[in-house]
Amino acid sequence: MIRGTIIGSVWATRQAAGLAGRKLVLVAARDADGRASGRVVVAIDTLDAGAGDDVTVAFGSGARNVLAPGPDNRALLCDAAVAAIVEGAA
Amino acid sequence: MFLGRVTGSVWSTVKWPAAKGLKLLLVRPYRLADLPPTVAGPPTGGDSLDDLVVCADVFDAGPGDDVLVAFGHAARVAVAGALAPGQKPDAPIDAAVVAVVDRVELDGERGARR
Repeated sequence: MIRGTIIGSVWATRQAAGLAGRKLVLVAARDADGRASGRVVVAIDTLDAGAGDDVTVAFGSGARNVLAPGPDNRALLCDAAVAAIVEGAA
Repeated sequence: MFLGRVTGSVWSTVKWPAAKGLKLLLVRPYRLADLPPTVAGPPTGGDSLDDLVVCADVFDAGPGDDVLVAFGHAARVAVAGALAPGQKPDAPIDAAVVAVVDRVELDGERGARR
């Protein structure tokens, strides 16, 4: 997973059927010092996170488990998902 | 997934049979400094050494389009619909276009409309 800040959202009409109805957010990744690293990822958001929110993003099968836990979720089109809205970090 | 700008394409004759007929695009990822996207030009990549990503495309994206690219199994799910009937999405593909982007909104403000 990575930690980052939500900086916006992305909209598309020509898209894979598996993305229909999904909210897609832009997340600016943070580096070890907590600053923006420059890398930007796009994640599916099911937690209703908003701009400026500090979040963690899970990738791969971990991301699918955010949408639907369990071993039978491989048909989901999801490789990145907001896994948590961060309240504090030390 | 990441947001990127299509900068070109690659083609090949010798390839895994399951990948035949799949169009391959070159996509440059947007860095934070490149946002919001502009129609004027592709992301510069800033001071990064990020590589161009080669990805399968079944959405007929072309140079200048901004696209979302997914990795891993999600990429094979996205291209599965374009494969011949009965053909399983087991092509050696680990990146694919999953959407052609219409609009990017930054911090709730309306960004560049494509």
